[in-house]
Amino acid sequence: MSDEFAQFQEAFFEEAAEHLAIVEEGLLALEQQPKDLELLAKIFRSAHSIKGASGMFGFNAVTQFTHKMETLLDLLRNGEKAVSPPIADLLLKSTDCLKTLIEAVKSGVAVDDEVVQRLAAELASASGAQAPVVPQKQAVAAPTQSEHQARRYLIKWTPPEWLFQRGLDPLQVIKELNGLGELSSVTLDMSRVPDLAEIDPEKCYLSWELQLLTGKDLKTIEAAFEFVREDSKLVIEEREALSVKRETSESGHDTRFTNDDQRAEDGAPKPLGAILVESGVVSPAVLEQALSQQKRVGEILVEQKVVTPQQVEQALQKQKQQESATQTKKTDTASIRVDTAKIDKLINLVGELVITQSMLSDLGARFEIKQLPVLLERVAQLERNTREIQERVMGIRMLPIGTAFSRFPRLVRDLSTKAGKKIQLVLSGEETELDKTVIESIGDPLTHLVRNSADHGLEPPEERLDNNKSEVGTIRLNAFHEGGNICITVEDDGRGLNRDKIVAKAVKQGLIGENDKLSDDQIWPLIFRPGFSTAEKVTDVSGRGVGMDVVKRNIEALGGTVSIKTVTGKGTTFTLKLPLTLAIIEGMTVRVGKETYIVPLLSILESIQPKDGTIKTVVGKGELINVRGTYLPMIRMYDVFVLEPEYTNPMKAILLILETEGERVAVMVDEILGQQQVVIKSMEQNFRKVEGIAGATILGDGTVGFILDVRGLLEIARHGTPIAA
Amino acid sequence: MAAAALETATKELQQQIGLTTDGNQFLTFNLGEELYGVDILRVQEIKGYTAVTKIPNTPSHIKGVLNLRGTIVPIIELRTKFSMPTIDYTAFTVIIVVVVRDKVMGLVVDAVSDVLNIDKKDIQPPPQFGAKVDVSFLNGIGKSNDKLVALLDIDRLLLDDEMQNDAKAA
Repeated sequence: MSDEFAQFQEAFFEEAAEHLAIVEEGLLALEQQPKDLELLAKIFRSAHSIKGASGMFGFNAVTQFTHKMETLLDLLRNGEKAVSPPIADLLLKSTDCLKTLIEAVKSGVAVDDEVVQRLAAELASASGAQAPVVPQKQAVAAPTQSEHQARRYLIKWTPPEWLFQRGLDPLQVIKELNGLGELSSVTLDMSRVPDLAEIDPEKCYLSWELQLLTGKDLKTIEAAFEFVREDSKLVIEEREALSVKRETSESGHDTRFTNDDQRAEDGAPKPLGAILVESGVVSPAVLEQALSQQKRVGEILVEQKVVTPQQVEQALQKQKQQESATQTKKTDTASIRVDTAKIDKLINLVGELVITQSMLSDLGARFEIKQLPVLLERVAQLERNTREIQERVMGIRMLPIGTAFSRFPRLVRDLSTKAGKKIQLVLSGEETELDKTVIESIGDPLTHLVRNSADHGLEPPEERLDNNKSEVGTIRLNAFHEGGNICITVEDDGRGLNRDKIVAKAVKQGLIGENDKLSDDQIWPLIFRPGFSTAEKVTDVSGRGVGMDVVKRNIEALGGTVSIKTVTGKGTTFTLKLPLTLAIIEGMTVRVGKETYIVPLLSILESIQPKDGTIKTVVGKGELINVRGTYLPMIRMYDVFVLEPEYTNPMKAILLILETEGERVAVMVDEILGQQQVVIKSMEQNFRKVEGIAGATILGDGTVGFILDVRGLLEIARHGTPIAA
Repeated sequence: MAAAALETATKELQQQIGLTTDGNQFLTFNLGEELYGVDILRVQEIKGYTAVTKIPNTPSHIKGVLNLRGTIVPIIELRTKFSMPTIDYTAFTVIIVVVVRDKVMGLVVDAVSDVLNIDKKDIQPPPQFGAKVDVSFLNGIGKSNDKLVALLDIDRLLLDDEMQNDAKAA
């Protein structure tokens, strides 16, 4: 496959994913507002786009399946059928199936054919059940086909022998047909051509078998044969249903999707059933019946008592795992779609930068000291340009977290049906922007948490009513910026974590001793242990004890933390805290002795110069500062970082009031130097993580400055230095 | 194929002009009177000493970090690392920037000396002093004319240190 083609395909997959998202989102919304025609039209357009594009690339399985969805959608759109919960459900399932199909073409893995067939049949019957239009010869065919819907025709054409004598060209006819739609296969039958000696060069011995995919009706197709109609043998039949049957027969033999047209073109043999049907030996119905008796390898083996059903089940599980493994690997290709407006703006800015640069070098070439003001002005302009470009380049990678949240309405809907609970999902803070890579990596942990809340956290409706709660359980997803971090909370108003159960389980697993006195904060994190689940029965949703440990691991891999708050009977809140790595932060540069540190601006509440008598001590050491009536613990930064300060007297120094995870502390520094944007540089790249330091940055004079990790600073202040200096 | 042939040809040529890159070419430097050597292929650059930013709460031989064209590079004071007395920096004090398993680090040394070719036969295994003197970070002792060059195993020297700290930090 050429690179270019691969590139187009890549674009197709990306677009398809977007369209699928629109379809899914639309369908979910449609459940709430079944009469929204605009919404339907939107879903239809997206489905249609997938169909069109997949057809272009020859992904026939996708095209055919989407076509069936589209047929049903069209019925809904035209108001010939009302949106009902079963239909919405069917369409949602079909969307999933379509996703799998597209994924399958992308990665080349096999698809569970049975599901596809079943859904296809369901779709067809859903559209067919109320078919008000002309009865079709095959029930599966789309009943209401509006003008633009493509249908497949099989055309058998044997032109009259006099064709050439009248100066007619069969190629013209075929070209015209091609103009009507897409000729997916053209087969020339030369069986009537006699031996060379007997050939009459003015006679036409040829005949054709063509497959045409077109939105035009039969009359229009017949019109193409206008001039040659007389004496021609012409059979035109709709073949949509036939191709469905053929797919069935293929799936009976192998589980891979194949492009049947391509097969024909390649000269590869068609499945036996298809040939039998086409040549009219058996009817499609007979074939289908025969195929339905065909069994899967597993079933046959079980029947022959070679293997046990369990073994087959295991093997199937394994197959699925392998499939999903390949899928995840394949979907990892990184690309990002950027609004062209953003890029245009960026190009303009780069243009400005170039101009500023040339102005500067011009000035530098013949600089006199009296031009200093001009120089300063241009440097200022350069700074403006740079800053703006920087912001916009970073902005390209930033996406609203809503893209990660968008999967949850569907998930929660499915979970609530499955668990028989009434669940309401409330999303907020979707516009909070964070780095694309972070968004991609938090999807799975979030899914685990939401599943957990739905399955374990929320009680069944009866239990809720018994406890004087509303029947409908609520799961809240919220995202917000806090102190240079992104916080995402998953909150439910369910039963809360059961301390006794967790303790009992932990004792049983030998994680804690029976008589250990542990605080709640020590108990809750136990649920992050691998294999730890207190669920009484394992459901297919959760309870297997995998999940929470994965959540923790994934979040920690991103340099974040997970914390739990829970109130028995009231609910549980999981808070994911993720750092804004890669990002540029606003920082306050402060000085302690000769060292410069950067304090993330977002964690600074205020800075004060303490007055005499506002600082008290507890047990002679622990210092507290009275800030408008509240005593806050005071940390001397030079103590924690072992520096030589200019001031040891707090009255002369500056106190920064910082907030971290809801806690407030006063940190003493010598001086505040100013505010600036700093690029976070990794300390881990060439060194390792240093306690109390979130990262490094290059200061204006080219030296390195450290960015303060407020939480870490607090930890060191409390627990002493981790590594002796 | 062509690349391999080219490599062989290059090697032959290098041997003819007395330049070998078989890992026995060393950048040597001084710490006091002693001469040390590092595999020249591990050296990224040599730069004059500039002020570093001290990292709080780290062992004293880690002098701090430096901005090396936008990357943060830790600087290790080799004298302190070897528990040798520190001296005032002079105009000869340099930082040898080395690459240790994808990590870039700087070593502060008294002065760079030379690039020496030391034949494999002139390299003897590191001496054994028992527990008294730790020389586990030496690859061997090289002889060049009548000079003795202690050849450093920088992976061991720098990474062992790193690992230790990582383990503590974790």
